[in-house]
Amino acid sequence: MSDVVMAEIRKDYLYHLVLKGERADGRAFDEYREITLQTGTIRKADGSADVRLGKTRVLVGVKIQPGEPFADTPNKGVIITNAELVPLASPNFEPGPPNEVGIELARVVDRGVRESGAIDLPSLCIAPGEKVWIVFIDVHVLDDCGNLMDASSLGAIAALMTATVPAAQYGLGEDYPLPVRDVPVATTAVEFGDAIIFDPDTDEESVADTKLTVITTADGSVCGMQKSGPGFLSQDKIYRIVDIACERAKEIREKFLEV
Amino acid sequence: MIEDLGMDHNNDRNVVVPGDLLSDDPKASGEGTYVKDGKVRSLLYGMASSYKDKVRVIPLAGKYVPAPGDTVIGTVQDIVFSNWIVNINSPYEGLLHISELPRKIEMNEMSKYLRIGSSVMTRVKDVDSTMKVELTMNDRRLGILTRGRVAEISPTRVPRLIGKGGSMINMLKKELNCNLFVGQNGRIWVDGNDDDMDLALKTILIIEKEAHTTGLTDRIMEFLRSEKEARS
Amino acid sequence: MIGMDEKLSFFKDGLRLDGRRPDELRPIKIEVGVLERADGSCYIEMGDNKVIAAVYGPREVHPRHLQEVTRAIVRYRYNMASFSVEERKRPGPDRRSYEVSKVSREALAPVILTSYFPRSVVDIFVEVLQADAGTRTAGINAASVALADAGIPMKGLISSCAAGKVDGEIVLDPMKTEDNFGEADVPIAMTPGGEITLLQMDGRLSRDEFRRALELAKVGCQQIYEVQRRVLVDRYSSIAAPESCEAAEAEEEA
Repeated sequence: MSDVVMAEIRKDYLYHLVLKGERADGRAFDEYREITLQTGTIRKADGSADVRLGKTRVLVGVKIQPGEPFADTPNKGVIITNAELVPLASPNFEPGPPNEVGIELARVVDRGVRESGAIDLPSLCIAPGEKVWIVFIDVHVLDDCGNLMDASSLGAIAALMTATVPAAQYGLGEDYPLPVRDVPVATTAVEFGDAIIFDPDTDEESVADTKLTVITTADGSVCGMQKSGPGFLSQDKIYRIVDIACERAKEIREKFLEV
Repeated sequence: MIEDLGMDHNNDRNVVVPGDLLSDDPKASGEGTYVKDGKVRSLLYGMASSYKDKVRVIPLAGKYVPAPGDTVIGTVQDIVFSNWIVNINSPYEGLLHISELPRKIEMNEMSKYLRIGSSVMTRVKDVDSTMKVELTMNDRRLGILTRGRVAEISPTRVPRLIGKGGSMINMLKKELNCNLFVGQNGRIWVDGNDDDMDLALKTILIIEKEAHTTGLTDRIMEFLRSEKEARS
Repeated sequence: MIGMDEKLSFFKDGLRLDGRRPDELRPIKIEVGVLERADGSCYIEMGDNKVIAAVYGPREVHPRHLQEVTRAIVRYRYNMASFSVEERKRPGPDRRSYEVSKVSREALAPVILTSYFPRSVVDIFVEVLQADAGTRTAGINAASVALADAGIPMKGLISSCAAGKVDGEIVLDPMKTEDNFGEADVPIAMTPGGEITLLQMDGRLSRDEFRRALELAKVGCQQIYEVQRRVLVDRYSSIAAPESCEAAEAEEEA
């Protein structure tokens, strides 16, 4: 179940392509694979989104339930984000609680939602100090073909934007749509062969040793970032990634999230 | 219960699933079948066919199981004592012993000669009952792959890629301007210039997808002709 | 199982709450080969159940000490997504999923030819994406198809479904409301030849009722088998009409 060592001949080929300005599947360096987004597929959840990014597939479910607020924020609702990298999604995933990769994925998805202020936490207060709405965002990875981060983030915001607060079943009034005030979108790039490659697939992720995820909001501000992997990143590459990320995020927002 | 499927399907399809009834004659049991209560049934998801007086099922899916004599393309994963551990796209790894090389190498030179991540063309020398797989590279036609590309298809499609008596593969070698080598384990090595390799790989993937259909060789020849015309 | 104080009636004009006859299955949808990374996969909807199964294998066993020298081991992991049930479920296995995993594995292992692959493992993973009673049977149905998709040699496809007793009537394939308020639930799995590989029962049934429930569940399994088989066969029909490989090879020679 551990990662198979990639053939050098394959690595060489990917580097060779990059030097020519090409990628194995013919995409441009800053081009995304085809995205399909379906929301509301899990009717029992309060919100859900089924995202396909190339062959990568992620299902995000949102459940909203009343619960106790955190002691230090008695008047605010709670967001809890979790990601399950279930073994069915990849030969490299093992059963068990999330490892550092799964935890990192959940925390970065959470960062995008939280730091963008997409969910107005005070508005989720039911009874100050006693009862608030808890919003569970559960990312369930189904097929890892690269770039789980962007697929999961997209799924999370799409599920939230189409979620309903189930107030009626708790006797707290009528059901109403979860108010979402911003649309954070994550864009991830990897670096190898001195090139910056967006929306990496499985092989590209394997070859690269550095990855940068940039989360931007509807007005083009940056609300979250994560560099992962053991490699170096130069400053000018970082700025280039941020610039392209803003453009790509805007396109994704306009095309899929009706903004 | 559910009987009589897979046999005599005049709706031409003889795709069968495990358990499909193939024959009432237990003596007709060939590869990919089993006998129970005097009836021959399929063990596999595959294509049933009759050959002489036997009925057999050729799998449409499944992993590569090494057999002595097979030539396979592998990737070195590890070096352990005097063996290279080679991934051969199988549930079983291959062991390439230091004595199975075309020349003599000392144990401390192993990594220099053949390092982790290298691709090799080897032959399966022996497979024992515990599925310990021994490989050899001691043959002029085998060796380390330093250039070109390796594609992977389902090993169940390799016979079709080779064709009866090598008909398909020989045609490809002639029409594609590439060196081509097909490993029994579903890995195929191609070498040539970039565009030619692209065409070769594209063609191989089409063959993989349509392996179970008829008239494939002709369609591939037609495909190659039109691709080459489009290029010129 | 809840007490029968509710005034809820489960039958109206002989039809159930969702309009089905007592001996009718919920609508089924099966798709095979839905995942890229897995060796075999299957997505199934049975009523409101949405379940996806994947097979990896045969592959190397990790940790090594679990391997068996003469055959493959079979592992089955049934898991429910947090959002699959009414009240959000904490991720990870609970006692119920361990039990379901065990009996499901034991439902499939008898038909798998493990001796073909010594020292390896066939891993079966089932994820419940939405649950509405009958997820374990849906999982087994999907797993069977996924195993075929992966090319695992088997004696036959296993089909699974449940019968229950609701408002005194024996019904096929109970949905959640029926299961919650019903008097008994009998999930089974079987081979096309009628041999039972999964049998569980909870509730209360007379011996005669149990026999009727079992017979009804068997009928359900047969119907499901037809769908499973059709999906696998049809998959190779969309391209040029296939003939036997022998004919194709003969063509080459000519």
